[in-house]
Amino acid sequence: MNIDRRRFIGSAAGMAATTGVATVWLRPKHSVSYRRPRSFVAILNAAEYSEKTEALLMGGLRLFRFNVLGKVVLLKPNLVEDLPGPVNTNANIIGAAARCFLRLGAARVVIGEGPGHQRDTELVVQAADLKPHLADRRIEFVDLNRDELAKVRLKANYSGLGELWLPRTVLDSDFVVSMPKVKTHHWEGVTLSLKNMFGVVPGMKYGWPKNLLHWHGIHESILDICATVPIHFVIADGITAMEGNGPLQGTARELGRIVLADDPVAADATCARLMGFDPLRVQHLSEGGRFLGNLRADRITMLAERIEAPIRPFAVLPGFHYLLARTVL
Amino acid sequence: MDYVGPLQELRRRELPRGGWSFSGSPQMSLETTCLATFSVLAEQPSSAAHVIRPLLNAQFSDGSWPSFIGDREPSWTTALVICALNSANDLSGARKRGLSWLLKTNGREANWFWRWKFKLADRAVRFDPDRYGWPWLPGSASWVIPTAFSIIAIKQFTACNRLDISERRIRLGVDMLLDRVCVGGGWNSGNTVVYGVPLQAHAEATAIALLALQDEGRTPAIRDSLGWLKRRSSSIESAESLAWCILSLFVYQEPVEHLKAKLAALVGDGHEIRNNATLATAILALKCGEMIHPFEVLG
Repeated sequence: MNIDRRRFIGSAAGMAATTGVATVWLRPKHSVSYRRPRSFVAILNAAEYSEKTEALLMGGLRLFRFNVLGKVVLLKPNLVEDLPGPVNTNANIIGAAARCFLRLGAARVVIGEGPGHQRDTELVVQAADLKPHLADRRIEFVDLNRDELAKVRLKANYSGLGELWLPRTVLDSDFVVSMPKVKTHHWEGVTLSLKNMFGVVPGMKYGWPKNLLHWHGIHESILDICATVPIHFVIADGITAMEGNGPLQGTARELGRIVLADDPVAADATCARLMGFDPLRVQHLSEGGRFLGNLRADRITMLAERIEAPIRPFAVLPGFHYLLARTVL
Repeated sequence: MDYVGPLQELRRRELPRGGWSFSGSPQMSLETTCLATFSVLAEQPSSAAHVIRPLLNAQFSDGSWPSFIGDREPSWTTALVICALNSANDLSGARKRGLSWLLKTNGREANWFWRWKFKLADRAVRFDPDRYGWPWLPGSASWVIPTAFSIIAIKQFTACNRLDISERRIRLGVDMLLDRVCVGGGWNSGNTVVYGVPLQAHAEATAIALLALQDEGRTPAIRDSLGWLKRRSSSIESAESLAWCILSLFVYQEPVEHLKAKLAALVGDGHEIRNNATLATAILALKCGEMIHPFEVLG
């Protein structure tokens, strides 16, 4: 078959373009994988916040195999606003977790947060009643919005951000514990341990709110941040959770659970199931299940209570009815 | 009010090469350095050349400033640096270049495409995208605090000789602030009503927005916001928000002595205030009435 030069060049250009597009589509968007053969989750029943929380938490933590001896543990709670209601991770759980990790041998516990809306972090810390838990000199609070920053190349590329400035406190910690409040969210459906990591992005660089992440896609930014700052453990505050128009204006929902996990995807999938949602329908969870942790129930070992579907799923805004699980678990 | 101890503490925390970081790190923050510059200048005007040198050194060739040293991107702190250089009456030309950058910088919704998207498709947050101001950093939308500081900077720097382009941006920014007033008065970061539900105002954002509007006519929105701030200030136990309340209420000629007494008790000698920006703002608030107000705008 004869082929003239014009046709040859056209065909070659077409092939090159197809190859280029295919390369972009087929190239993995993440350079790391934290998935393990099995993940472990413990659901603890807790009807209220009380002085018994620490003992309960300690018992739960001892179900897991991790070593924090001599390490700097970063607790990343969800402290968003100086509002009443179940907006923030309860200080009782944060303080209890800090003391538990010290008892387990941690050299130091840093509680770090960079609220996304309220610039006055002190006001949020006061409203959350965290101050009494900072009495131990080995427990320190760091405002991640105003920490020293280092530029970091992201280990996933869903958002197209490429790199982010991140706080030294986060980058220098040995063991990162995400401590979300179990809530619905008016942009992403849910806010759990993965979304909670938005709070490590510093306001002094990205503003209040961290709007650049919204423009680059919230789900996409979550995946990039969590690929870059791996979460080693999750303690989710689901005693009093939030449903409806979360994360700020929703209504309290008594769930009566604390969820512990050594895998953030497994933790969030479990929380989503407890809320009556199908985790596969949460975009950053379904994608995160490819490399950030285990999403499928058959890869998750439950160490304490079994997952029980709620009698009534969490209320969601009209646009999020697709999250509701069709079948019970 | 005793601001000598806190000021000594602030000066002690100055970085070896000049400027201030937020808290203990060697990374100079432009926001902190500007606020500290105001505080130091209020007490020692003769130190102007020393305290503004790090600010002048940090300016980019396009006239903007970063949010901290090491960052290579422009930021909202450009407005704050212009205010600091206004206080120092700097004649280097840095302010003019900064103004030029500010006048060219918009929130992302200023682009026609995004304006139409927010008008037609994305109505979750109630706001008028035709009224835009300034972003925290290029590539994001307009927000209340960067817009308020930009308005103050332009109003101050162009007070004697204002071109139409500056006036237009001021008007647009003022319109944006008035569009973003929370239900019942006050401002937060800039989201007033989301999915039909009002969000609460923040003291700091309200105080800073009111500073930007101090020479505007007392519209009902401004009156409501002032009332909101007065009520809110009485229950604040945080030095940062309380200091901004004082700085703002003072220019509206509201009584602030009781708030200053409360702030003085919170700050003490300054040792316990780890955030240098907070410490500097508190010093300014404690000195209110004894200095030229750094955010005063002459109408």
